[in-house]
Amino acid sequence: MTDSTIQHNEDKRDVTFRVHRFNPQVDSKPYFDDYTIKLEKGITVLRALNYIKEHVDPSLTFRAFCQAGICGSCAMRINNMSKLACTTQVWDELEKSREPDVIKVEPLRNLPLIKDLVVEMDPLVGKMQQYSNWVDSKMPEEQWGRKEFLVSEEEFLKYDKATDCILCASCVSECTILRANREYVSPAILLKSYRMNVDNRDASHEERLAGLVKDHGVWDCTHCYRCQESCVKHIPIMDAIHGIREDALESRGVKDTSGARHAEAFMEDIEKKGKLVEATLPIRTNGLAWTLRNLLPMAFKMVIKRRTPPPPPLVKSTKGIDAFRAEFREMSGHVAKDHEKKSGE
Amino acid sequence: MKRYAYYQSCINESMTKEVDRSIQLWQHDLGIEMVHLQESTCCGGSNLDYVSPKHFALVNARNIAAAEKMGMDLVVSCNTCLMTIRTAKKKLDESPELRDEVNELLRKEGLEYRGTSEVRHLLWVLIDDVGLNAIRLKVKSPLSRLRIAPFYGCHILRPSSVLGKDNPMEPTSLDQLLEALGGSTIHYDHKNRCCGFHTLLVAEEESLNVAAEALQEAMDEKADCIVTPCPLCHTVLDGYQSKALKKNGGKGSIPVFHLSEVVGLALGYSERQLGIKRHIVT
Repeated sequence: MTDSTIQHNEDKRDVTFRVHRFNPQVDSKPYFDDYTIKLEKGITVLRALNYIKEHVDPSLTFRAFCQAGICGSCAMRINNMSKLACTTQVWDELEKSREPDVIKVEPLRNLPLIKDLVVEMDPLVGKMQQYSNWVDSKMPEEQWGRKEFLVSEEEFLKYDKATDCILCASCVSECTILRANREYVSPAILLKSYRMNVDNRDASHEERLAGLVKDHGVWDCTHCYRCQESCVKHIPIMDAIHGIREDALESRGVKDTSGARHAEAFMEDIEKKGKLVEATLPIRTNGLAWTLRNLLPMAFKMVIKRRTPPPPPLVKSTKGIDAFRAEFREMSGHVAKDHEKKSGE
Repeated sequence: MKRYAYYQSCINESMTKEVDRSIQLWQHDLGIEMVHLQESTCCGGSNLDYVSPKHFALVNARNIAAAEKMGMDLVVSCNTCLMTIRTAKKKLDESPELRDEVNELLRKEGLEYRGTSEVRHLLWVLIDDVGLNAIRLKVKSPLSRLRIAPFYGCHILRPSSVLGKDNPMEPTSLDQLLEALGGSTIHYDHKNRCCGFHTLLVAEEESLNVAAEALQEAMDEKADCIVTPCPLCHTVLDGYQSKALKKNGGKGSIPVFHLSEVVGLALGYSERQLGIKRHIVT
């Protein structure tokens, strides 16, 4: 056993919480305060923050309620990762700390800061409204309260995991694209939208989907998987994002968005050559005008460095392409049958 | 000499040719051989899986089955190919029905997916099979003067349920290799963040913003260069570097190397031999 392990196994020790502070009424910019307190093993970050507020600094501001990982209100960045303070053990975090015995606590990212560790959740609520994140009942209003809407287990399993979301906004805080553009729909909203769109009681599938494929919507996700990795309920959020994309391609086709055209190009090229024809990918995704405007200056540099992808006629098909193509097309037959079966249900 | 079925990524065949060229140069020095997997097709680039999940399973079952036929592990040098093919493998290993369905088609070509070959990144092979100590002993020109910003890229780390080699929040594998090559690595926030590649053609402004932030942080931390194990990250961080920085008010420039190139440099090969002159930022 190393010295550090012995130290970490101690039941009581001094721990420093380096906490983000900002009061817009008095501070010109955020800063960090260090609070060093003696703690026992088994304590959570939330209990430690409560202790600091009660015994050390009553001005420290954070949001918390259930203390049991259910309400989602105490999400914050602890040691550079968004998570719930109430389900995070101090001793576990000490193992990850870059500076010995110091735990860094910051507010969630990608949402406006109100004070210290509290962020504004209104932008998220606004997006829930924008993307109709509720079940819009198919049942006529006069039957409400008189008739049951039965959901089979099989139907429920499609969105069972998605219903675990507690809207803590950890995924929102870690999202790459939201960091680049606050207009982006965000992973939590995509998850909720998916959950509503696969619910057999819902009547707004088409309209919701039409909103999701617009600018700043589902096609802007860059597949970084940070949302999924930070989800406090271990929900496979990327499956939901891919689910919306699959649905969009199936119900709306590929013509109306660059994201859909880009995705479909992979399918076309693989069937045709077994590999990607990168030279024409920008044109097929965004058209000639966009490609000339956006990529021409770079193309010159790439030609000089001999980095340009070969033109389509020079892209050699993969070895054994005929046999591969036959299998690929036979699989297309399987997929068509699956669709027929699904639409017959 | 340990042999591997080497999966050639589309981008390494067309744009980042220096990756395969550099591996060819030094592979035997480290007692490994990458045997080109001739029959392989594009993995779907993290797009085919939702365009058509069944074609996605077929295509990658075939890629892995071809490696299994050679009796070797499948090795890639692109993060997205790694994540994509491993995702397909997980789905195939978890679903006997899916496996049967694709095998019925693959059988016509004399192939069968059995799940016996592992799907691994070149970085993992270097660390786990060749070994850091063996690599240290082979170093002729240590990267000792270089302060390196390791840029892991997403798809060698996340989703961890599919990758699992590194802790996605505190990865160390690339740092370990770079240190074994004699370099020193810096710690910075963007080490495990995204390069923006996958939305370059769909949300260019956002992608360039993502790339600029990573480049700027590496430069602010006084890194001499960035090293990445992924040719897609390289394409953004090198090829789009001036555009990304210009659009986001950034200044300066920083060279970006492929993992395979810095291994070559440390083993004594020249920049010209390794194809480093082909980079946009030199």
